Amino acid sequence: MKGLKKLIFLSLLVSLGLALSVIESMMPIPFVAPGAKLGLSNIVILITMVLFGFKEALIVGILKSFVFILVTGSVSSLFYSLSGSILSLFTMYLVFTKFSKVFSLIGVSIFGAIAHNFAQILVASLMMKNFRIFSYYPILMLTSLFTGYFVGLASIYIVRNLKKHMKIHFY
Amino acid sequence: MNILTKGDKYLIILIIVISLVSLFYTKNSAFNVDEKYISIQVDGKEIKRIIFDKKLIGKTIPIKTEFGYNLIEIGDEKVRVIEADCPDQLDVKQGYISKTGEIIVCLPNRLVIEIKGIKDERDVDYISH
Repeated sequence: MKGLKKLIFLSLLVSLGLALSVIESMMPIPFVAPGAKLGLSNIVILITMVLFGFKEALIVGILKSFVFILVTGSVSSLFYSLSGSILSLFTMYLVFTKFSKVFSLIGVSIFGAIAHNFAQILVASLMMKNFRIFSYYPILMLTSLFTGYFVGLASIYIVRNLKKHMKIHFY
Repeated sequence: MNILTKGDKYLIILIIVISLVSLFYTKNSAFNVDEKYISIQVDGKEIKRIIFDKKLIGKTIPIKTEFGYNLIEIGDEKVRVIEADCPDQLDVKQGYISKTGEIIVCLPNRLVIEIKGIKDERDVDYISH
């Protein structure tokens, strides 16, 4: 896929990720782990990485974070979402390219979710200058296991279908 | 059709074990201090220290800074946030904290409420003969 078609497809992915983030922010947060999120927009970044590559996924992730600020209006959350998505993308790309024999997309997205949480806690503890916040990490790790599992499961089905249809329509 | 690979299953088990162990460890290490105080920090600086006292039960403390407003209530050896002007209200939903090392964080207002043990502050341990 090249040129304009790719541009349109990528911008569609950005807007899809944005819509998922907005829907997600409306959802009530489970009581057990405040701060935990479903990470639905991670589906979009994972799909972009698998179908297009690392550079495109980075662009989609950064654009999504920036436009999400315009929607919610909270600038301080930019650092959290940006650092989280960039580190999780790096991790996912590493696992996907080096260990795709060992891990399916579910494993890849679990790695991504864990890296995402790690980056956010790191940024939070740097901002607060209090590394006690890391005591909260185990709980987030457990929740990221579940969210990562379902994000990976969704991505497997989406990638399978998109690969089938993209061959027919674009190539 | 098998979606989960062997590596995935091992990864899931490994993460469950790691997080449970570290959860247990952080919970456990919080227990062995008896004297505790509440440390209220805004933007990384400690602005208030409150030592638990029976007289303080039910007292509320407003924390108003340039970053926002929070209202803190002290209970019997525990503390919680009852009001906040941040949009997500996560700190209010978290409820009481009581053990050493437990924290309430309000990211938008840069507020950290932490329970600390007084023994942590001492540089030198007791020397007994």
